[in-house]
Amino acid sequence: MSAVSVPPGGVTSRLAQELEVQRERLLPCVHCGFCLPACPTYNRLGDENDSPRGRLHLMKAVVEGRLDPASDAFHTHIDRCLGCRACEPVCPSGVEYGTLLELARHTAAEHRPQGRLTRMLLFVMASRALRSLLFAGGRVLRASGLAALGARALPSAGVLRSARFGLAMLAATAAWRMPGVRSSRGVAAPVSDDAKRGTGRRVAVLTGCVQEGLYGRVNQSTMRTLEANGFEVVEVKGQDCCGALHAHGGDLDRARALAKTNVEVFLASGVDLVVVNAAGCGAAMKEYGTLLESDGDDHARARDLASRVRDVTEVLAEVGPRRGAAVECSVAYDHPCHLLHAQRISRPPLQVLDAIPGVEVRVIANAEECCGGAGIYGITHPDLGGRIGADKVAAVRAVGADAVATPNPGCMMQIGAGLVMDGAPEGVVHPVELLDESYRRAGYYGEPSTQRSPG
Amino acid sequence: MTRSLTAAVARALGDIVGRDHVITDPDRLVVYESDGLTAYRVAPRAVVLPGSTEELAAVVRLLHGEGIAVIPRGAGTGLSGGALPTLDGVVVGTARMNRILEIDPVNRLARVQPGVINARLTEATRPHGLYYAPDPSSQSTCTLGGNVAENSGGPHCLKYGVTTRYVTGLKVVLAGGEIMELGGAGRTADGSLDLVGLFVGSEGCFGIAAEIEVRLLPLTEGVRTLLGIFETMEAAGHAVTAIISSGLVPAAVEIVDNATIRAVEASVYAGGYPVDAGAALVIEFDGTEAGLDSEADAAEACCHAAGAREVRRATEASQRAKLWNGRKKAFGTMGRIAPDLLVQDATVPRTRLPEVLASITEIGERYRLRVANVFHAGDGNLHPNILFDRNDPDELHRVEQASLEIMKLCVAVGGTITGEHGVGVDKRGYMKLVHGPDELAAMAEVKRVFDPTGLFNPGKVLPDVEAAHR
Repeated sequence: MSAVSVPPGGVTSRLAQELEVQRERLLPCVHCGFCLPACPTYNRLGDENDSPRGRLHLMKAVVEGRLDPASDAFHTHIDRCLGCRACEPVCPSGVEYGTLLELARHTAAEHRPQGRLTRMLLFVMASRALRSLLFAGGRVLRASGLAALGARALPSAGVLRSARFGLAMLAATAAWRMPGVRSSRGVAAPVSDDAKRGTGRRVAVLTGCVQEGLYGRVNQSTMRTLEANGFEVVEVKGQDCCGALHAHGGDLDRARALAKTNVEVFLASGVDLVVVNAAGCGAAMKEYGTLLESDGDDHARARDLASRVRDVTEVLAEVGPRRGAAVECSVAYDHPCHLLHAQRISRPPLQVLDAIPGVEVRVIANAEECCGGAGIYGITHPDLGGRIGADKVAAVRAVGADAVATPNPGCMMQIGAGLVMDGAPEGVVHPVELLDESYRRAGYYGEPSTQRSPG
Repeated sequence: MTRSLTAAVARALGDIVGRDHVITDPDRLVVYESDGLTAYRVAPRAVVLPGSTEELAAVVRLLHGEGIAVIPRGAGTGLSGGALPTLDGVVVGTARMNRILEIDPVNRLARVQPGVINARLTEATRPHGLYYAPDPSSQSTCTLGGNVAENSGGPHCLKYGVTTRYVTGLKVVLAGGEIMELGGAGRTADGSLDLVGLFVGSEGCFGIAAEIEVRLLPLTEGVRTLLGIFETMEAAGHAVTAIISSGLVPAAVEIVDNATIRAVEASVYAGGYPVDAGAALVIEFDGTEAGLDSEADAAEACCHAAGAREVRRATEASQRAKLWNGRKKAFGTMGRIAPDLLVQDATVPRTRLPEVLASITEIGERYRLRVANVFHAGDGNLHPNILFDRNDPDELHRVEQASLEIMKLCVAVGGTITGEHGVGVDKRGYMKLVHGPDELAAMAEVKRVFDPTGLFNPGKVLPDVEAAHR
């Protein structure tokens, strides 16, 4: 005879308590199964433990005291979820899966620490000093070409497989050399006053952690294109990492601490909107209200801030981005899960791309399915992450575009890593980078200086 | 408590399908304890997920040799507990057998593995101008293997008929692991006994379909979709009766009541139904363009004659899609009202719809239960959704009582205990309401022909006679 693992003394764990508080979010699942075909892990494994309904059932069993949160089943299947949230828009009952997943990860992590690499990464990301050191090192590896070399030279199996993938992700963060751009792209001058159009809105830009460290150019493009569309961009000092990586990784304490810092500084700046160019960060910040819902006064302030958060493509599409000069190229478009599923934003990025003369957009097959990026899933789950990533890379390559455009750093790195390892010619670009180039060519920024762009 | 498999049997299963595709950890089996009907929970001894016909046959042969019952499972969306495990049984799931093997556009046939999702077949055949007609409301997730087992229906089966009309051939795995071909190459009746017809709707009690050949239909040229809005369910019921008796042949006539409308409109599948309406009808006509408008006009007139507040027409494909999404996802939206629900399934003669609906309302009130109605009105196939919380034992008991009364009511007016969801475990107890001992004995006899030792899905469909195998 065998039995299901039940924690000693029934529902005692903090996880179980946290989940118990979330009964109202769990209960609406009526087990209809409409989420199954939306789930990338279920589609590939066929095990209902790796489906949204199955994972909710495991959570429910923990809440009911029928399953030990320290069990291998709970740990493995909660960990194996990509967190893509493709199950949310298809759920008739509106189960808030993403929030539940974070709580479940938090519970699982309390009973069984995360892998060393994950813990280290979350620790480093929460500290400005440590992460700037990490990213500085990363930029050296990238600029020296060592990252690209390692991604091609290291073996694709065995112990170095993850190192190879990590270096490929890093190499993939290099700027795409757009057709018609000279090799040393200079920093553009500030937007000239006569090129500005007034919307009268003051906005701040989340500079982020990975975004600041490896995609500084995307932040620059974001600020310039916003200014060129009439927004007053305010610099907000003291802002920090949004905490999304921590929340997804089960480190809710750090996530909440980071969120509180951001709520404070952004509200104090008095901006109308906080513009985010990373889909994962935008989704997390729009949900600060939920993250801090049991934090008394902070809760109302968190909701206030969350209501001001916008994806950059949302803001640009709303004003109907002004047109610049032609950038002749074709791009494959892929939806970031945290834009499409978590924020339910599908058209704005395409509207931004459509506003660039010369750009031909080709939406790839299964563009609504996760690329397998999901933080460092490709490193923590090399087999499954590799399969999901390979499918995405194949879909990108099938459309034969010059580059893949997607507005999220995680997806840019994941798809880019696959392309680098394949030795594929396609580049990777954030839609606002293309818009920015279009504006530069149109002369909205005056004459570019010769100084190198940071990152 | 569930009895684990012996290590030797678990290893042998792993040798056949690969160790990753055998689940024996009791913690992981919790996930398989229910299908779409959560009122019942029984964890199996193991779950096996074969990847091919050969693996499936070898698994069944092995389990048969060990005397271990087989519970077939597709997507686990069934609403009668047809895939509910037994304590001694092993679930054999078709999730990995999900390939479309062949599309033959000339002969309008497709051959698929049982784990192929219903809607994916239509997606794959649409480029050839073809589609697969039976459209259960769960078609975005349910599998064709499950459809074969349950002889599934759907809104458009009013005009097009249910699954059995479309299955032309089957490759089935029987108890000894033998693989048998029934029908095939488009044959439905070729002078031999119709074994395909016998197998379709056998609810996993005869064997498991490993390959399915189905007939496809050409895409319809035109479609008209109407939304009739009524103050009461009774008025809507009269409209249905009027439409059907007028000689019109709608593709679908669906009804949703106020409770359902409110749940759907609060969801991502909001169809644009007015939340203050007592009932709404979704009426559809399809076929060649010529004549569609006059049919729609005639149905609209029937609605107005029955007292409709308003009749709207979907003028764009997106509007039509919204109306249908709202209807088809209605079951899932009920989680907004209550944590558990029992979707009942019965049929009554269409002329008796208004009075039956009134009686169901009365039964719900008497048992202090919330009942939401959403169903295929055109063919009198009722789906009262009884809402409850399984953690309230008294309420659960009242649900059972009310269910029984609703069933008795439907049978009393000349209906029957299931329209399309199957008998499964949930309605096994009602079989005697509609079948005499001779009929039940005949059914048991037929099962024995396919499954002499009672290996497949014990404790389902047939009352009592299966008790020896449980």
